Amino acid sequence: MKQTLFSTVLDNGIVLLGEALPSLESVAIAFHTPAGGIHDGPNRCGLATLCGEMMIRGAGNRNGRAIVEDLEGSGVQWSQAVSTSHASFSGAMVARQLSDALPIYADILRCPLLEEDQLENARQIVLQNLAGTDDDPSHRTMLALRKIHYPSPWGMPSEGLTAEVAGLGIEDVRAFVKNHVRPQNTIIAIAGRIDWDDFVANIQRLFGDWDATGQDTVTTGLRGEHLRHVFHESQQTHIALAWSAPPYKSDDSYECTAALAVLGGGSSSRLFSEVRERRGLCYSVSAGYQTQRDFAAALCYAGTTAARAQETLDVMCAEINRLPGTIEADELERVKARAKSGLVMQQESSAARAGAIARQWYHLGKVRTLAEELDRYDTLTVGSIESWLAHNKPGPLSVVFLGREPLEVPIAFSA
Amino acid sequence: MPFLREQLANGLEIVAETTDDALSTSIGCFVKAGARDESDDLWGASHFLEHMIFKGTADLSGDEINRRFDWMGASANAFTNEEDTVYYATVLPKQQHEATDLLSRMMRPALRDEDFATEKLVILEEIRMYDDQPPFGADDRCRSAFFRSHPLSRSVLGTVASIEALPVEAMREYHRRRYSPGNIVLAATGAVDFAALVASAERLCGDWQSQPTINRCVPVPPPPESTLSHIVRSTATLEYAISMSAGPSENDPDRFAAKLLSVVLGDDSGSRLYWAIVDSGEAEHASCHHQDFLDAGLFATQLSCDALDVVDLLGRIEEIYTSAAAQGITSKEFTQARNKLAGRVVLAGERPRRRLFDIGLEWSHSGTYRTVADNLRIVEELSLDDLHRVLARWPLHGPAATVLAGPYTADSSQLLAD
Repeated sequence: MKQTLFSTVLDNGIVLLGEALPSLESVAIAFHTPAGGIHDGPNRCGLATLCGEMMIRGAGNRNGRAIVEDLEGSGVQWSQAVSTSHASFSGAMVARQLSDALPIYADILRCPLLEEDQLENARQIVLQNLAGTDDDPSHRTMLALRKIHYPSPWGMPSEGLTAEVAGLGIEDVRAFVKNHVRPQNTIIAIAGRIDWDDFVANIQRLFGDWDATGQDTVTTGLRGEHLRHVFHESQQTHIALAWSAPPYKSDDSYECTAALAVLGGGSSSRLFSEVRERRGLCYSVSAGYQTQRDFAAALCYAGTTAARAQETLDVMCAEINRLPGTIEADELERVKARAKSGLVMQQESSAARAGAIARQWYHLGKVRTLAEELDRYDTLTVGSIESWLAHNKPGPLSVVFLGREPLEVPIAFSA
Repeated sequence: MPFLREQLANGLEIVAETTDDALSTSIGCFVKAGARDESDDLWGASHFLEHMIFKGTADLSGDEINRRFDWMGASANAFTNEEDTVYYATVLPKQQHEATDLLSRMMRPALRDEDFATEKLVILEEIRMYDDQPPFGADDRCRSAFFRSHPLSRSVLGTVASIEALPVEAMREYHRRRYSPGNIVLAATGAVDFAALVASAERLCGDWQSQPTINRCVPVPPPPESTLSHIVRSTATLEYAISMSAGPSENDPDRFAAKLLSVVLGDDSGSRLYWAIVDSGEAEHASCHHQDFLDAGLFATQLSCDALDVVDLLGRIEEIYTSAAAQGITSKEFTQARNKLAGRVVLAGERPRRRLFDIGLEWSHSGTYRTVADNLRIVEELSLDDLHRVLARWPLHGPAATVLAGPYTADSSQLLAD
């Protein structure tokens, strides 16, 4: 399949990435600036998220309302989000609207107003979202798992902590934006019906003289306990498990993700078959992979009625334990088929491709071609996965239960 | 993008919008069976049956079905709502035959006793999962209060009691009546070999027995007096409110204007509700959406906020609706919302799977087909007068069913007393 990828780095360090998808009418663009939650600092959990909210509440000569009205008036589907590593501002639109949208995004990144009279409303939005998270048991479970599995600050919730968001001031916001929203390591990714030369010229004009500088000082701290019960008044108990996995930049992440897909990646996976289909223990069960730049985790999740939660956990752990040495060729063929067709179908979405090429650059410092990825999947064999599993047995587990009662972790995995 | 249609002698319809250079093929079986087609003793049967369809046929086990979808690299799933049960698979074009074969065979399930007993446990887990999540059943309660005796009043999942009481024989009979060929549309989008699709359908579905057609539309009762009720969830952090008022149905030409009106008034961003309540951080969420059915329609307003603020914010939402009806929509608001909707139409039209749902549901309900360009033209030809007519015909500040779910407070107690 023909694929047209572009990349260039501006003098000030901004990385521009592009993929032409000429059969589409749309373009999707995302600006990822390295102002994520890991930079919040002690007792300021949620600062990056508050800053992301503040940046769209006024920039350049537009107030917050004008930003939204001008984007939406051009038919731009916009979004703003803060993750562990980045603050991201995205938009998808009919291609001809791009030239109207770019100056607005340039203002948001380069000259946010950060006005004090917007702070309380922005803070209330962050606090409202945190209150909403309180009512979402599965989300709370995964947040708790991240917190105990990853070392600080990587496990801290980028959404923030209510008590710490409450104490943030306008000077915290201004200092954070000044220090972290800067061209160095900012990634701008675009995909869809693009004219690359024209796009680069536009970005050069809007961002070429941006010379802000700052410093990243992330100190990786300690991990928390490996087992946590979060009391929650609910009918269901939510179970989340994690263990260490190689990060995406490590070549053996393919062996790892393939093994995880055998375990819980599709409707014919072992967890789905054994926990849901065979025993009817739950509606939702899965295994997946989550990566930071330097470390990653294998994750499993299930939600089930309290009375059946222990059996669910026992079956999940038995399947995790059984994985090394038992992978069959037809399981691997299914995993490869799903992964490869997913990669091809991603080419039909400008937003998915803009996200994928940015993610690859962040993790690898380059964009892998579709052919490279497909070829890498072809190299996977039962032998290569088993060999990897033999040296990387699942565990030790980080475990979270959210519900009325704690559960017993099976002996094979207990700390 | 040619549109092609064929019908088998037994009534099964096959439709496709073909895009030769698409990278994927999406195929779906659209069954005219949903919660509205159930009786009290079948409550939840449509959704339960959707699960059972994946448990196997006379010669395919459930495991084998799951393995085959994964082997194809398919993105496959199903959903059930008030009016439809839809089974779909998106695959690479070379897998069209396999995907069509499997989906078609699944429409004739074994419905084995032992699978029924195991899957019943999964359905009960699904009910409990949603019951633990916002809006804690307020949506189902509100629909029930709004539609009262109309078939659309029924929740899709059913209840723990109705699922526990459902016998497998009743499901088999429900399947026999509802999954007849005249009640199913086989639709495809993307890179479709239509001749092969029809040949597959003829071979796999041609011997399905027809059943009498069932009229699904019934008269809609007049709008109710306003009602208000409360589901107490003392451990919830926020209060969740849902309010439903009458709107145009699927066969009313004003349904497109109603959707645009809901963008102006209650879109997730940039709308009147957003600027009045969400942007200030007073609510976690406030929105209004139009939903249409075969014979009815509604505007659903959703709010989540601190329990202490819910009375005030519901009052302010009503003021926003009253003001829109009295003073109208500005041309600036109208233009912005129309451009926003037009952008959505173009973006949604790019993915074969999304087009599959649009085309399959539209054809299943009304036997009509519209291209992306047709949809864009409809949006672009809407006028401010159309929106004002909708506001006059279906006043959002008029009679509504409202349900709150969350911590019970003195304020919400007062609201209920009023």
